[in-house]
Amino acid sequence: MLTETVSPAISILMMSLLLTPIISTIIVTLLKIKRIIGVVTIISSLIILIQSLLLIFFILDKKTISVLDGVLYVDSLSGVMIITISTVGFLSSLYSVNYMGKQYDKLLVDEKKLVRYYQGFNMFLFTMLLVPLSNNLGIMWIAIEATTLVSVLLIMLYVKQSSIEASWKYLMIATVGLSLALFGTIFFYYANSVSDRSLDSIKGMDWTNMVENAHNFDPSLVKFAFIFILVGFGTKAGIAPMHTWLPDAHSEAPSPISALLSGVLLNCAIYGILRFHIISSQSIGSEFSNTLLIILGVFSIGISAASIYFQKDVKRMLAFSSVEHMGIISVAIGFGSIIAIYGALLHIINHAFVKSLLFFSSGSISQKYQTKSISDISGIIRIMPITGFMFLIGGLAIIGLPPFNIFMSEFLILSSGFSSGNFLASTFVIFFLIIIFAGFGKHLVKMVFGNPKLEMIKENWDISVIPMIILVFVIFVMGIYVPDPLQLLIEDASRIVLVGEVNH
Amino acid sequence: MDLLQISAVILLIATFGIVVRRGFSDWVHAYRYQTIILAVIVSLIATVTNILELYLVAALTFGIKAIAIPKILFYVTKKLDSPIKLEINPYVTLRSSVIISALLVIMSYFIALQLPIRSNEIVSVFLPVSFSLFFIGLFIIISRRKALSQIVGLLTLENGLFLSALVLTNGFALTIEIGLMVDILVSVVVSSILLFRMSQTFDSVDIRNLESLRDD
Repeated sequence: MLTETVSPAISILMMSLLLTPIISTIIVTLLKIKRIIGVVTIISSLIILIQSLLLIFFILDKKTISVLDGVLYVDSLSGVMIITISTVGFLSSLYSVNYMGKQYDKLLVDEKKLVRYYQGFNMFLFTMLLVPLSNNLGIMWIAIEATTLVSVLLIMLYVKQSSIEASWKYLMIATVGLSLALFGTIFFYYANSVSDRSLDSIKGMDWTNMVENAHNFDPSLVKFAFIFILVGFGTKAGIAPMHTWLPDAHSEAPSPISALLSGVLLNCAIYGILRFHIISSQSIGSEFSNTLLIILGVFSIGISAASIYFQKDVKRMLAFSSVEHMGIISVAIGFGSIIAIYGALLHIINHAFVKSLLFFSSGSISQKYQTKSISDISGIIRIMPITGFMFLIGGLAIIGLPPFNIFMSEFLILSSGFSSGNFLASTFVIFFLIIIFAGFGKHLVKMVFGNPKLEMIKENWDISVIPMIILVFVIFVMGIYVPDPLQLLIEDASRIVLVGEVNH
Repeated sequence: MDLLQISAVILLIATFGIVVRRGFSDWVHAYRYQTIILAVIVSLIATVTNILELYLVAALTFGIKAIAIPKILFYVTKKLDSPIKLEINPYVTLRSSVIISALLVIMSYFIALQLPIRSNEIVSVFLPVSFSLFFIGLFIIISRRKALSQIVGLLTLENGLFLSALVLTNGFALTIEIGLMVDILVSVVVSSILLFRMSQTFDSVDIRNLESLRDD
């Protein structure tokens, strides 16, 4: 299937995509100068973004690319992840410089911590990029576990009781969860090694190889293994009831990191589920995994609806909204029609953009108000007109109002839910979405338009609004139409999810 | 082959060593014994299956998990400010812990029998034991109150995973095995840093302190 030789330019591109964040980490470690390390990170994230865009065009052309004897492998599905990681990563690095600079001025972090922050930031990007680039499911697992370790270090940047608590819970629950996923991976690997004796041990864990052999797998073993995978990667993806660590970790992290955690890292875990979902669908048909995905997804949306409605902390509210959207993505994958999967993948991208806009703006807001409590934040639009407007746009987009992008993907998902006959699940989803609309909307209106409690100096322009302006622009555009190359990419990717490969 | 069964029994005994002890350093000792036996088992399996790569895996297991990780954990235990280095009252008493762990072992044998897996001597001896390690590790994590015992629980669980991968598929490829071990090593370092922070900030490593973040 993958015999076509790849030009050396592409293999260099893929390797340099992984090397750039590592080199940038080394430069940050060596330089240690406060002003420069932020710029180094911005430049390296920009290079990553450019390389990703180049890679996407190669993917659109060639459909599947595998280099280094199949160790690195990308197709359109990985492309969707790569584009999300690199875009949000770049914007987050832009926002970081301003945000962490302010934290430094407030003496919340010292120079040593800033170095640690940027080291962590770059390594975080590296580990996340490794997830969609690796073909070997063992390496993918190692990369996902590594994201946990790096992000724990980033969450515990501030030595506070709450951040220590959040990082400990995150480390424990995510690691235990992921070890279940490794169990699942072992069983899939076993099924593959039984079905094809000729495999050597490293190729036997390749995703491409497993998909080819999937029809020979023992069905009951696949079911058993997929449950482990779903619970394991589901823990990392924040799917209820394994989501308990998520609101703590995402609300205690520095805001640019919260954006990466919510907007991108959760998707990496979803990506892990998707890869195994494809194998399992090829083996025993998609009905089994679809049912599980729908049940867990609806449950996640329900749990987060209740938590959002009664929420008191703005960043926790955003974190629960991530649980909700992961639920929506999971339900959409479970619906299983081509339009639903297209919607799910589009939703992954849309959610990443909107959630990072919200975390960026709420980061600036809580820096200004010096609190994260919803009841203490009001009248943002008067005190911070620009950031407040961005926050409002983000809030309206996340609850699914037209003409923003989330409305598009949610509409696609729900309509395909009804047309594929999942009436009960779709009705539940709509019901919970209405509650979330009311709850989130209530908090949003209060925070943005309420009377400011304190006399505060109005905000000045600073560069923290630049990434937000870019995001608002993207959200508007994506709400009206999806650019052609992206549309092609997502279409190919949904075909991969549906039938296992793009060439059918 | 009796040697296989004997080593499996010793592995289980070492694992119960973690369940029945209260002291920080006792756990680390028990974990080290467990890992040394695990390394022996890996080389036994290497002899039986005649896969040379596994000797290297055994050496790695010994070097990283039986020497480096206990060393880090001993260092942490020594440096911790907390005067009480004992699990005084865990959520589940030690006596019931032993009974529950024994039940978990029985359950593991039951599960291993139910799975549609082609049996051979190695699988039938070690697969239930590997499941037992996994479940007992999980049980230690949820039943103990000291953060250090949660780390040891996690490591036990991971040893179980490692063993089941080994018996089912003759282990992962060497590169992946190395990657996994590095992951574990780093996670021990990260959790040790967290432990230090915890004992500085809360004056103890009791995870009861970690209950302030919630929605009410």
